[in-house]
Amino acid sequence: MVVLAGWMVYLDAVVTSRFEGRRFEVPSRVYARPLELYNGASISATALRQELTLSGYRQGDGQRPGTWSQNGSRFVISTRGFDFADGSEPRRRINLVISGNAVSGLTVVSGENTPLLRLEPAQIGGIYPAHREDRVLVGLDELPPLFEQALLVTEDRQFYEHFGIAPLSIARAMIANVKAGRVVQGGSTLTQQLVKNLFLTRDQTLLRKGNEALMSLLLEWHYEKQEILETYVNEVYLGQAGARSINGFGLASQFFFGESLSDLQLHQSALLVGMVKGPSFYDPRRNPERATARRNLVITQLEEAGQIDKATADAARAKPLSVTSRPSWSENRYPAYIDLVRRHLARDYRQEDLQSEGLRIYTTLNPGIQQQAEKAVTETLSRLEGSNREPVLEAAMVVTSKDSGEVLALVGGRDASFAGFNRALDARRPVGSLIKPFVYLAALQQPERYTLISPVQDTGFALVFENGQRWEPGNFDGEQRGEVPLHMALSRSWNLPTVRIGLDVGVDEVTRLLQKFGVSSTISQYPSMLLGSVSMNPVTVAQIYQGLATSGFSTPLRTIRDVTDARGEPLSRYNLAVDQVADPAAVHLVQYILQEAMREGTGRGAYRFLPQDLAVAGKTGTTDGGRDTWFAGFSGDLLAVTWMGRDDNGPTAFTGSTGALPIWATFMSQVPQHGFTPVVPDGVQYHWVNSETRVQTDEHCENARLMPFIAGSEPQQYEGCSGDFSRRIRGWFEGLFQ
Amino acid sequence: MISTRIRTLAVAAVLLTLGGCASGVYAPPGGNQQPTSSERQTESAPQPPEAGARSDRERLSEQPQTEPEKPAIQPGYRDQGDDLSPAAVSLIQQADQLLAQGNAGGAITQLERAQRISPRSAAVYFKLSEAYVESGNLGAAEQFVLKGLSLSGSDTRLQRSGWNLLADVRRARGNVAGADQAQSRADQL
Repeated sequence: MVVLAGWMVYLDAVVTSRFEGRRFEVPSRVYARPLELYNGASISATALRQELTLSGYRQGDGQRPGTWSQNGSRFVISTRGFDFADGSEPRRRINLVISGNAVSGLTVVSGENTPLLRLEPAQIGGIYPAHREDRVLVGLDELPPLFEQALLVTEDRQFYEHFGIAPLSIARAMIANVKAGRVVQGGSTLTQQLVKNLFLTRDQTLLRKGNEALMSLLLEWHYEKQEILETYVNEVYLGQAGARSINGFGLASQFFFGESLSDLQLHQSALLVGMVKGPSFYDPRRNPERATARRNLVITQLEEAGQIDKATADAARAKPLSVTSRPSWSENRYPAYIDLVRRHLARDYRQEDLQSEGLRIYTTLNPGIQQQAEKAVTETLSRLEGSNREPVLEAAMVVTSKDSGEVLALVGGRDASFAGFNRALDARRPVGSLIKPFVYLAALQQPERYTLISPVQDTGFALVFENGQRWEPGNFDGEQRGEVPLHMALSRSWNLPTVRIGLDVGVDEVTRLLQKFGVSSTISQYPSMLLGSVSMNPVTVAQIYQGLATSGFSTPLRTIRDVTDARGEPLSRYNLAVDQVADPAAVHLVQYILQEAMREGTGRGAYRFLPQDLAVAGKTGTTDGGRDTWFAGFSGDLLAVTWMGRDDNGPTAFTGSTGALPIWATFMSQVPQHGFTPVVPDGVQYHWVNSETRVQTDEHCENARLMPFIAGSEPQQYEGCSGDFSRRIRGWFEGLFQ
Repeated sequence: MISTRIRTLAVAAVLLTLGGCASGVYAPPGGNQQPTSSERQTESAPQPPEAGARSDRERLSEQPQTEPEKPAIQPGYRDQGDDLSPAAVSLIQQADQLLAQGNAGGAITQLERAQRISPRSAAVYFKLSEAYVESGNLGAAEQFVLKGLSLSGSDTRLQRSGWNLLADVRRARGNVAGADQAQSRADQL
């Protein structure tokens, strides 16, 4: 008796502590950025359909929340509404037309009128506790009509009468078990099922049965029926998605129907209730016939219990299962991106909280752009390798929004679904010529010494260090061109003039600039850094190019907009920030050269993929033996960095132009966007010049280029097409009124 | 002082929408069909050099094989940023209401949505600056004015708004010389 009493005390402690603890353990949910719909929003019909699917919408009548219909270019969408960190987006039904890859004619048919709205964001992953159980917590008030009745009729008719166990059922079960000599029958109450799920292993021994009964009594003694039922609703096991178990009706509703539990119709509720008996046996995706029979049995029991009339029951039994063909989201669809999100979260959150507090994490991922980035990497690598070679090439890619610094897509390797080595973050490789724009920026920040047409020497030289070592840089092609204008030296990526300029402005000055633009690791002070012996990962390259793309404003890269708790209360917000780290005028001159590189220089190959009228700017990078090939570039909207090479750091037959650039250009050609046409900043003027002879000239003269100068640094001499100086005064006036 | 300016600017921002739409968007082919096959890309793909054979330096050259024959398209620029899109204007109006209620954080959230819709519009950054003034973060306020000014181009009305705002923010930060400099820029316009 004493032993039993002691055992009861022990079980009581177990029951109360674990019931309280487990009831609220919910993994964090990670969401993509919501799609914003407004007149003028650029999106194609294809992309809109993909977004709707990712957000768990189904093609249907467009009348029920969570469905859409399409008729040519016209869409009808019924949104479900969503609680964002900054407020609720109510349910609405909208009509919209997609024309020319943009939204036009957005009208709200029902619901609060608005010129713009957000769809529910797609869930792109979760941060799960070690036992990998997932759930969407629901309250009893969120159960759809008849759900509770269906559950009790099927699983525990005496739920509100018994005190944890139902002796009659147990007696019946015991007789059956004794007859069979083993446990063949349950007769468990909901409370017992909950205890089994919460506290016990799955093996069926008589001792365990005894404990289960005792713990059920204790649970009933401590807690109200409603608390027990609510916990059951959130705890019950309903399926498996890979390594992750599906617990609770809330998550199961998302998983099987792509809908909120509260929106389910009778036949859907009945299916979920029916599945409790055997989630795998009655899996509606794998065993639809068994699942249908089981569902109809539940409906019939409801009918026999008088909860519904025959007509309702017949209608429900006639319905198809209406399960989505695939779960509307799957775990780890974007492992590389989630990896970066986790690292950002680790700055402010403890791992345990992320795993158990049910946080909602709103990221900046753009699923359509992510898909195009993955596709560009995979397809380009296969094409470059040809069909008959061992795949040895690897690649990584980062895409950001140019002016906001939001990371829109991240590819960590050619198999984007593989959650392994994340090259976008963990591959630190020498950046080669990607560093050169910063060397030239350092020079162009001194307009009294350097302009775009300053003469620089493309001739060889040797540096002898104190320890006697010699360094003799050379051009990739081995040529030397003598005196060349500065802008050509960068757009053609010639090494010799770059090193000369870099040594002139100073390695420390270039280093300082790189640090201001976002390099936080140590930068070696050897002159070879001027040719990119510095190692960076693709994300860091994207960070420093952000400053070049935005006229000298460093914009910290972000993957997270908001984090809220499980009830939607804001916990953290990660705001847009800008910091002017360089003179916009000097950056504008570098932007000129990076555009020239795409039209005339090392980036020319991009226009094999891109239409001529899409203006872009960018820079190639290659290290010895093609071990690393890089491209970093931007349009008006997007900045993208690609790296291609081998994991074993072996040589390849590629360069930035032939390896990384085709990935970049393939991607850019598939995304709607604005071209890059920078606004002329304060203090910059454009002049027609001859960059070889360094004089102002006329537009129609040979070799005339319209080039930007920081005011006062433009050439003072004017020369007409035939070397005539007579129109100098007029030229000066034209400059004045430009 | 500062709040007076904010009101002026709010009006200016709304007026801006009377202008035209943003410049054209590049639309990739096949946007309304299923994703395009790689056919088109294969046709125009550069022929990569043979992998493995890497004997000579030319093959590793980053330089184009030949200089272009025709004069290439020259780098582009423009004199002004984009106008605010109507969707961004509606968000700015919401932000104004939130600011009037003293909810600067809420206003910033809505302005960031507007920024994503009209990222090349100076006005949206000036509004962000105003919201940061209200929230007491003058450092961020100054940076957002500078960002807006970098997109103001030759639009004197925007420039004047920006330099005035910058003068106010710098004065509030105790940077008298910087404030005077910005003020004189505004007065010259």
